[in-house]
Amino acid sequence: MADLRASVPEYDKEDGEYKVKVICLGDSAVGKSKLVERFLMDGYQPQQLSTYALTLFRYQTEVGGKDVCVDFWDTAGQERFNNMHPSYYYQAHCCILVFDVTRKVTYKNLPNWFKELRQYRPEIPCLVCANKIDDVDYKVTQKSFNFAKKHQLPFYFVSASDGTNVVKMFREAIQSAVGYKENTTDFTDLVMRELENLDDLSLSNDVDSGVDTAGNSAETHTDEADEEQAEGATGTT
Amino acid sequence: MSRQYSLRKCGIRFDPPALFVTYTDKSAGKTRCRTMPIRNFTKTSTVTRFVEDFRKNPRHKKYLEDVPKSQLEKLLRLLQDNLRGMSLDQSLNEIRKEYSIDPNEDLNKVDEETLRKKKTAMEDSFEKNRKKPGDPDFEYEVERDFQPVETCEWDSGDSGSDADF
Repeated sequence: MADLRASVPEYDKEDGEYKVKVICLGDSAVGKSKLVERFLMDGYQPQQLSTYALTLFRYQTEVGGKDVCVDFWDTAGQERFNNMHPSYYYQAHCCILVFDVTRKVTYKNLPNWFKELRQYRPEIPCLVCANKIDDVDYKVTQKSFNFAKKHQLPFYFVSASDGTNVVKMFREAIQSAVGYKENTTDFTDLVMRELENLDDLSLSNDVDSGVDTAGNSAETHTDEADEEQAEGATGTT
Repeated sequence: MSRQYSLRKCGIRFDPPALFVTYTDKSAGKTRCRTMPIRNFTKTSTVTRFVEDFRKNPRHKKYLEDVPKSQLEKLLRLLQDNLRGMSLDQSLNEIRKEYSIDPNEDLNKVDEETLRKKKTAMEDSFEKNRKKPGDPDFEYEVERDFQPVETCEWDSGDSGSDADF
């Protein structure tokens, strides 16, 4: 349990490195991993957190003159259990919602994914992308898909196979993630950020009892989160 | 098969078991056939392992690299079904079903082996249109604007379940 805290990145801590977390969501075999791989090509360092049934791709870039470290979270097949573990959504700054234009059911399942996303992250930017357009001779790009319009989400026709719009879509996802992190008004985010900073304070300084209490409560909160994640990951509960 | 050879077809023989590849040797302008014996393959062998072994085999590799992985899997399955005493028709039917994609089938709900087969079939079309570094027309950033002119038929009808989201 102790090393879980070390291995799972924190995204709201202000410890010098500016980090954002972008998650991919959607049905099995819609091409989520293929899209991330196409964007990163060889310049990525995949990190398999096996206890968590997820894959992390780390990417360094610059947004508005600032160095940003982006972690793309990929489900590693977790979607087969129909819903994702809460830790997948935890602290995410942006979501890429993917469906497969060759399979209607993956489009019809978008509302379920979106609903689950909104339960955990009510306000983060979410992009919708229609993958595998090369597979149907691009004919599908003449059609408009109402799901994105209805929820006012940016929409992209992409192909992980020939690369169409993949880079554009990911760049915009990263920008939205940074934009969200800068301007979040989400209550949970603000509370988490306060707690993280208090946590740092109590560890690094001698503080009076008042702050110390707050520090302890932050500590407790984190431990609880870890426990919860560990249980889900091993699947023993 | 790169420059020297171009693949024409790939098939299987049941007895004695062997894979066949017919290809054109461009430099000689001739069509040739290569036979690759399948050894120690039984009713209970793991098809995917044999496919991997063939694709990695230093002597066979260059003849098989243009053959879709799913085709090799299907051919070995035919052989295995034959060893199990299944009729060719029945075997072909089952294999076709297992490797075809039903746009309405929810793949979140199928078992791992079923999902693996569907993904193998999808991998073929992924590779078919793929542009990768090294290809003459590869570009990292590919941008295209699309202007939809009609509504997708997937949006019509059963919107009842979609009330809130």
